[in-house]
Amino acid sequence: MSDFKPHKLATLERRVDAAPKVRGKVRYIRDLKIPGMWFGKTIRSPHAHAHILGIHLDPGFDWSRVVAVTAQDIPANYVAMLENDMPFLAEKTVKYRGEAIVLLAAENPDLLNEAAQHIRIDYEPLPAIFDIFASQVSFTKIFGDTNLFKEIAISRGNVEKARQHSDLTVEIETKTGFQEHLYLEPQGVIAVPEGDHVTIQGSLQCPYYVKKAIDTMFAGEKRITVIQAPTGGAFGGKEDYPSLLAGHAALLAVKAGKPVGMFYDREEDVQVTTKRHPSCHQDIAYVNKDGRITGAELTIYLDGGAYCTLSPVVLARSALTALGCYYVPNIRILAKAVATHTVPSGAFRGFGGPQAIFAIEMLIEKIAHTLNLPPDQVRKRNLIRKGQRTATGQLLKYSVSARETFQDVLKRTGYRAKYQKYQKHNEDILKNLRKGSVSSLNPGEKLKGIGMSVSQHGAGFTGTGENKIQGKIRVEIQPDGRVKIFSAATEMGQGEETTIRTIMAKALGIEREAVILSDINTDLVPDSGPTVASRTTMIIGSLLIEAAKELVKKVKRDLSTKQNLSFTYRNGFFHNPSEKHSFKDAAKLSAGWSVEKQYRHPPIIQFDDIHWKGDAYPVFSWAAAVTEIEVDPVTFDVRVFRYTTSHDIGKAINRDQVVAQIQGGSLQGIGYALYEKIRLQEGHYDITGFTDYIIPTATEMPEFEVNIIENSYPYGPFGAKGLGELPLVGAAPAVVSALWMIFQEEFNEIPVLPEHLAKIFEKKTKKKV
Amino acid sequence: MKIQLTVNGQIVSLDVSPKKRLLDILRDDLNLTGTKEGCGKGECGSCTVFMDGRRVNSCLVPALQLSGSKIWTIEGVEALSIFQEIAEIYVNQGAVQCGFCFPGVVMSTLAFIHEESAPYSTDQIAHGMAGNICRCTGYTKILEVVKVLESNKKLQTGIEEIFKR
Repeated sequence: MSDFKPHKLATLERRVDAAPKVRGKVRYIRDLKIPGMWFGKTIRSPHAHAHILGIHLDPGFDWSRVVAVTAQDIPANYVAMLENDMPFLAEKTVKYRGEAIVLLAAENPDLLNEAAQHIRIDYEPLPAIFDIFASQVSFTKIFGDTNLFKEIAISRGNVEKARQHSDLTVEIETKTGFQEHLYLEPQGVIAVPEGDHVTIQGSLQCPYYVKKAIDTMFAGEKRITVIQAPTGGAFGGKEDYPSLLAGHAALLAVKAGKPVGMFYDREEDVQVTTKRHPSCHQDIAYVNKDGRITGAELTIYLDGGAYCTLSPVVLARSALTALGCYYVPNIRILAKAVATHTVPSGAFRGFGGPQAIFAIEMLIEKIAHTLNLPPDQVRKRNLIRKGQRTATGQLLKYSVSARETFQDVLKRTGYRAKYQKYQKHNEDILKNLRKGSVSSLNPGEKLKGIGMSVSQHGAGFTGTGENKIQGKIRVEIQPDGRVKIFSAATEMGQGEETTIRTIMAKALGIEREAVILSDINTDLVPDSGPTVASRTTMIIGSLLIEAAKELVKKVKRDLSTKQNLSFTYRNGFFHNPSEKHSFKDAAKLSAGWSVEKQYRHPPIIQFDDIHWKGDAYPVFSWAAAVTEIEVDPVTFDVRVFRYTTSHDIGKAINRDQVVAQIQGGSLQGIGYALYEKIRLQEGHYDITGFTDYIIPTATEMPEFEVNIIENSYPYGPFGAKGLGELPLVGAAPAVVSALWMIFQEEFNEIPVLPEHLAKIFEKKTKKKV
Repeated sequence: MKIQLTVNGQIVSLDVSPKKRLLDILRDDLNLTGTKEGCGKGECGSCTVFMDGRRVNSCLVPALQLSGSKIWTIEGVEALSIFQEIAEIYVNQGAVQCGFCFPGVVMSTLAFIHEESAPYSTDQIAHGMAGNICRCTGYTKILEVVKVLESNKKLQTGIEEIFKR
């Protein structure tokens, strides 16, 4: 690997939250010392599916110093989310192994663990379903009459005709596995009761999701305040789950009349919190000899687990991303989110997108393989352009960069030349491998591969989501003339605080230090919508731009009245031929004034979410990647040594942190492709933490070559679209594409582990015999 | 058991269970919460501190090993005068995201600089920092910081104190 080129950032690119984090001065939820706080613990089902026959508290144990909560104690026992099917505590039936049944709280963890030994729960185990296909035909019902959380059908054009007129049919079935977020800070929440008021503080992404869930749980009997504590990574894992955990803490706190902290250790966290939905895609493409896809039938199954959580919207994004970056005129997409007796699947960076992009990119690989065409050529022939329509008939009017990003990575890597070079390099090694004579290899000699992917991510909520949520922000002028932003958008490492302060400062032409942020507390900030879906920069940012205009108008009016002069505003100053006032000085006149802004899509963006027609997203961000990998022919260990990617995100508000997001997200995607494996054992995840769930360390880090393309979105702040999720979305298929290149074999499932590669050779060796 | 140890240069006497983890002693008994627990199994490196001049995962050190030892945590390290320069380089390289792993990353950075002689190769830095898992950054910018620090001549002497046995 070549050496680093250290750089120094411009002042405005420095993160506002970096210095205290480096010094270890940030107080995460587990670091808070709340006087008199008790600790909470969860008693969980050892069965994936069972009737609860009884819960027995040992009468011989002194329960006076312990509080126990069961379903009976809950005013409204469901987590208000999409379907309201998930209880805070199971009452009659448990639907997954690890489902919560009893909560305990006590002054210290030792007493808590002792109390837990004195609870007995009797069960009648029932047959459990762990397979999405078995679930769809089973008489055992997990959700509704069909075990489907959601079914989506999208069609356009005439698939039958495409089939009849195409040269050939190419089919592939692809599968992706669970993925664990593995944020470094485990889940944690503290609930503090004070009369009818409960304050929840925790490591979380979406304070208003939690507020809604706890308001509903207490059936309006309590007043709820939710505060976001500094959050040590989330990646979607702290989008839906904290609602459940906060409910548990709040129930214990109210019953105990004391602050209660619920802190998961790593093992509990990885075993019971949500994972990325495993998927199965069954794809058929109708193709011409030149590689053009004239029609496609794509079927998607996602494993949603035991409760609905966010599965319908994850499924929607999967279905709407199913065609990837390609233009296909005739299309039929059928997507189903299926219930099984496993831990509910939930939000994870990409949100259905990574599964869909993996599937379509592997379909492209198979078309190239079948037609013996270069894989870059098949991609180029089908890449979508401005003026074409997507599967929902959405006309792409602006900011389309599938081709630009792809050409850019091909050019920067010298793809074709490397493809040939690596192919030649591999010839003898592969020959020896097929003969089974690996021992004769030069030690250390590796197979080399080059692969690629093209990906996209719709920015903001799917379909009509943004118009339903109508996110709000408020901006207030402080007595010292600084501007304070009240927004529920949360910092979880992605750089939100830096970005939104920068947008406001740039919009006003003032220093970033003159823009401050409110604490994230639902008593103070309006509901800006959740911090998810790569929406914050684009949606909150566009509201800030609107608010900035009104701030200038208001301050100008007040200044003009006071001075009895008229002013023009530019670059942070109010100008008049005779005087000049800085924004900050002038704004003191308008201290206390505030403006609220509420989001709606620009009216040209229209979506019909009954027939799945129209503008599924206001705009898409685009990316392409070329991976270069080495495979050890003895151990079959795969290492990505260079990762070249181009991302079109409209506008980089903070170029350095955009690159940081791309590096981090890409490495998560590389982990998804090569290392991160969870198996189910009777519905139980076989992982306990970092020991048996392998994520990339610094030694698995490739050399990143990142390029940012700015193809402006007319309605975004300074042209910005979404970024957060996109880097992960296309990484796994780009890695696996390089495996196709080396082995000229079909790869249709991730993660690809060394044993899978070894098996291919066992098979090949046997064929020869 | 009664133990006496030195934490960030201060002598501390405690009466704790011999099984109590150094991590808990720091966080609960001494209120030094800069040291984080990411896994409790010695895998993630978030709880990295110095013990007698070597980096250790404080979640794996029981109290019975602590008598007479010299411990340095992020709180002690960040108070060193040389640390201002180090912190600025982290900020300037854009290396921090959620920050939870960072106290551990900082401790490992200093240990690496103390252990290895410059110039560092990228592979050398990657291996030296591989015990600290970060899920946000993709590591590149963290490793860049280590590379930048290699040319800081004052650094070795500035951090000498914490590696004294």
